[in-house]
Amino acid sequence: MLIRERISSVGIHLILIAYSLLALFPLGLVVINSLKSKKAIFRDPVGMPIGDAFSWKGYDSVLTNSDFPMYFGNSLIVTCVSLFFILLFGAMASHALSEYRFRGDTFIGLYLILGIMVPIRLGTVALLQLIVDLNLANTLTALILVYTAQGLPIAIFIFTEFLRSVSREIKDSARIDGLSEYRIFFEVVIPLVRPVIATVAVFSMIPIWNDLWFPLILSPGDETRTVTLGVQQFIGQYTVNWGAVLASLSVAILPVLIMYIIFSKHLIRGITSGAVKG
Amino acid sequence: MATLELSGVKKSFGDVGVIKDINLQVQDGELIVFVGPSGCGKSTLLRMIAGLETVSAGSISIAGNRVDHLPPARRGIAMVFQSYALYPHKDVRGNLGFALKHAGVPAAEINQRVSKAAEILELEPLMERKPRELSGGQRQRVAIGRAIVREPDVFLFDEPLSNLDAALRVHMRVEILKLHQRLGNTMVYVTHDQVEAMTLADRIVVIRDGEVEQVGTPLELYRHPANAFVAGFIGSPAMNLLDAQCVGDKVLVGDQPICAANGVAGAVQLGIRPEHLSLSEEGVLKGTVSVFEHLGGESFVHLQLPDEQTFVAKLDGELSITPGQTYSLSVKPEHCHVFDTHGHRINN
Amino acid sequence: MSQSVSTTSNEVKKPWRFYIFVFLAPATFIYTVFAIYPIIESLRLSLYQAGDDEGVFVGLANYARLVSEPYWAEQFWNAFKNNVLLFAMHMLIQNPIALALAALLSVPTLRGAATYRTIFFLPTLLSVVVVGFIWQLILSPLWGVTPAFMNWIGMGSFFKPWLGLESSALITVTLISIWQYVGIPLMLFYAALLNVPEETIEAARIDGLNGWWIFWKVKLPLILPSLGLVGILTYIGNFTASFDLIYSIQGGLAGPNYSTDVMGTFLFRTFFGFQAQLGDVHMGATVASALFFIILIGVSLYLFGVQRRLQRYDS
Repeated sequence: MLIRERISSVGIHLILIAYSLLALFPLGLVVINSLKSKKAIFRDPVGMPIGDAFSWKGYDSVLTNSDFPMYFGNSLIVTCVSLFFILLFGAMASHALSEYRFRGDTFIGLYLILGIMVPIRLGTVALLQLIVDLNLANTLTALILVYTAQGLPIAIFIFTEFLRSVSREIKDSARIDGLSEYRIFFEVVIPLVRPVIATVAVFSMIPIWNDLWFPLILSPGDETRTVTLGVQQFIGQYTVNWGAVLASLSVAILPVLIMYIIFSKHLIRGITSGAVKG
Repeated sequence: MATLELSGVKKSFGDVGVIKDINLQVQDGELIVFVGPSGCGKSTLLRMIAGLETVSAGSISIAGNRVDHLPPARRGIAMVFQSYALYPHKDVRGNLGFALKHAGVPAAEINQRVSKAAEILELEPLMERKPRELSGGQRQRVAIGRAIVREPDVFLFDEPLSNLDAALRVHMRVEILKLHQRLGNTMVYVTHDQVEAMTLADRIVVIRDGEVEQVGTPLELYRHPANAFVAGFIGSPAMNLLDAQCVGDKVLVGDQPICAANGVAGAVQLGIRPEHLSLSEEGVLKGTVSVFEHLGGESFVHLQLPDEQTFVAKLDGELSITPGQTYSLSVKPEHCHVFDTHGHRINN
Repeated sequence: MSQSVSTTSNEVKKPWRFYIFVFLAPATFIYTVFAIYPIIESLRLSLYQAGDDEGVFVGLANYARLVSEPYWAEQFWNAFKNNVLLFAMHMLIQNPIALALAALLSVPTLRGAATYRTIFFLPTLLSVVVVGFIWQLILSPLWGVTPAFMNWIGMGSFFKPWLGLESSALITVTLISIWQYVGIPLMLFYAALLNVPEETIEAARIDGLNGWWIFWKVKLPLILPSLGLVGILTYIGNFTASFDLIYSIQGGLAGPNYSTDVMGTFLFRTFFGFQAQLGDVHMGATVASALFFIILIGVSLYLFGVQRRLQRYDS
C-alpha cells in the first residue's frame, strides 16, 4: 500500500514537473537569449549567456535607441490611474449597494455588473467616435476612462460580495460613535475592504497592462503608445535585430513577473476563494 | 443616569408591521431584558432606541428628553453588538477611545476614561493588541469597554453573548451583572436565551411578533405567566401544556380531575411545569414512560397519557424508571396554570 | 441575532439620502458613458448605412449583407467557422488538460502544490503580444530551436513552419493560446475541487471507493457547476479576446490566406479597412453587433440552460 502510494506520488510529480517545464521553457529561452550576442543566439539557443556569448546589446538598443522607456511610462500611468479609479469608484458603489436599501437598488446592482458578461470591446465602433468627439483620441485619458469603465463591473462584483459578508454592526457602531456616512466609508469601510483590494487590483491590472486592442484603436500615436502596443510595433520594425526583439520581450515580461511574484498569493486566493464563483 | 420611555412605538416596512404599538417605562438604573424568539422584533426595537432604525410612529424619550428624531450619537446611548463590531484596523486603545476622539474630547480626558474602563474590565495588558489577536471573550470585553468609555445614559446590548461558547457565556453573564451593580446605569439587553433573561433582568419584556406579551420580574413571569406563550418560553424544560376539559368545578385531563376550575367551563389548556410533577401512589396523571433521560442529579421522563398526549416530568436523578412502565404523578393545585383555548391565563 | 426585517433603511429620517447618490454616481457615470452607451450606439449604427450626415436607416439590411452578400458572407462565415473551431478545440484540449492538472494538484498529500500553481498560472498573466512573439520565434525555422529539439527526439523530419501553412496555422495558434490560458480553467477547477467537503470524500472512502473512483463518482459531479462557468468563459474569450493573439502573430489579415481569421480580426479590418479595403463604420458596427448577439446567445444558454441544470448538484 505504502509503496503504491509512493509510486503514484512520484508519478504525479513527474507529470507536474513536465508541465512546469513546458510553461517556463519559452519564457526562460527568451530571457536567456536576450542577454546574448546575435551569433550566440543562433549558434546555441539553449546555451547560457556566459563568456563571449554574453551581450548587453539587445537591451542597449531597446533602452537607449527606442522610445521604450516612454512606452513604459505610458503603461504605468494608464494602469495606475485606471486602477485608482476602479478601486475608489468601485468600492464606493459597492458600499452603497451593500449598505443601503433604496428604490432601484437591485436594478442598479445588476446593471453595474452586466459588463462582466458583455465585453466592452463590442462597442468599439461607437466608442472611437465618442472619444474623437470628446477630443480625446491619442490621449492616455481615453485609455484611462475606457479601462476604468471596463474594470468596474468585476471590481463592484467582488467588493459587493465581500461587503455583504461583513457585519453591518461595525458600521452601526460607527454611526453611534457619530460618524457621517462619508466618514464611515473612508474610516471604517476602506480599512475593512483592504484584504480584497489586492485581489481586485491584480484582477484589474493584468488585462489593462496587457491590452492591445484599445491602445491600437484609441491611442496608436507615437507619444501615447503603451508597452504592449510598443512591443508589437517595435518588433515589426526590427525583425532582423534579434537581440533587441528578445530584449524588448523580456522588458515587457518583467513588470508583470515582479508583480505576480509579489501578489500571486492574493491573486490565487482571490480566484480560489470564490471571487469568481459566478 | 436616566429613565427610558417608549410610548406608542411602531415600525412598519410597507404594509408589514414589525413593531406594533409598544409602551414601556424603564426606571433609572434598571436592567431590562427584551426576550423572544428569533424574528420577534426585539433587535429592531433596540435598534430603534439606538437610532439605527427609524420610528414609524410613537415616541422615545431618554432622561425625559424626546430622542427619536436625533442621530444615534446624540441620544446618550452606547451599544454593544453581537459581533462585537470592533474596528479591525485599530488596537484596543484605539477602539476604546475612537468615539471620544471623534467627539473632540481632550486627549487627557480620553486617556483617563480609557484607563478607567480598561481597569474595570481588566484590559490593561491587551491595550496594544489588534482585535484579531484577541479571544472571543476579550473582544467582548473591549466592546463593553467601548460603551463604558462613552459614559452613556443608557447601555444597549444586542445579544452580546451569542457568539461565545457555553462556559464563557456563563462567565460573561456574571461579569455583566457585576458591571451593572458597579455602574448602576440603565441597561437594555436583548437576548433569545430565556436563561440569560432570567438571571440578568430586573424586569423582563417578553416580545412576540412585534408585541409585548408580558412585562415583569423574572419570578412574576415564572409564577404567573400571562399566557401560554410566556409560560412555554420561560422555564426549562418548557412547561407542559395539556388539553383539558372543565367539568363542574374541576379541570379534567382525560377523566382525571387535576385542579379546581374556578368557575370556568369548556375546553382549556392546563399548564404544568415539569419540575412540579412528582411520583406518588395517589397521583392522578397516569403516564407510560417512552423515554428516560438521565442527567445525573436529575432526570427528564417523557410520558404518554392514555389519550396519547405527551408530557415531561423532571424527577430526582436517583430514581430508577423503566421505559414502558406506567407511573402515577401528582401536582399541587397551586402549580397548575389554566389557559383558555387562545392561550390567555384564566386562573390567577 | 434576530433576523428581523432590519435590512431596510437604517437612517434617521432623511427622505433624500444624498450620500447614496454621491457613492454611486462616479462609477455609474463612467460605466454608462464608456461601456454601455458605446455598445448600444454600436447596435444603433448597425441599422444605418453611410449617406448624409446621420446616415440612412436601413433596418436589418446590413445584417442581411453580412450573411449573404458574397464579399461579406465569405469573410463572415469563414471567421465564424474559425471561431467555432477555436472554441471547440479549447473545450476539447484546454479544459480537459486543466481538469487533469487541477485533479493532480488537489491530491491532499501533494507537496509543493503552491509552487506548481504559481508556475502554471504564470503564462496567463503575460501579454498576448509577448506570448505570440515568443512562440513565433520558437517555431521559426530561422532560429531553429524547434527543428533542433525535434531532431533531438528523433522526429526532425516532421518539422514544418506550422504557423505559415494554411492547413496547420489555426491549430498552432490554438495550441499557443491553450499554453497561455490553461491557467484560468485550471484555477477554477482547482478551487471547486478544494471546496468539495472533506467529509463527503471520507464518506466515499468508507463506502469503499478508491482515489480514482472518488474523482469520477464524487468530485466530478460536485464540480460540474464550475465546468459550466469554464465553458461560458471560454466561449466569451474565444469570440472576443482571440483578436490579440491572431493580430500579433498573423497580422490583421489573419494569414495565411485568412485561415486564422476570427470575428475580432474581421471586425478590425471591416472597421478600419486594411490595404485595399476601405473602413466602414456601419459594417463594423454590424459585425460587432453580430458578435454581441452571438455572445448573448451563449450567455443566455449558459444562464437558463446549463447553469440551471447543473445547479441541482450545487448543495
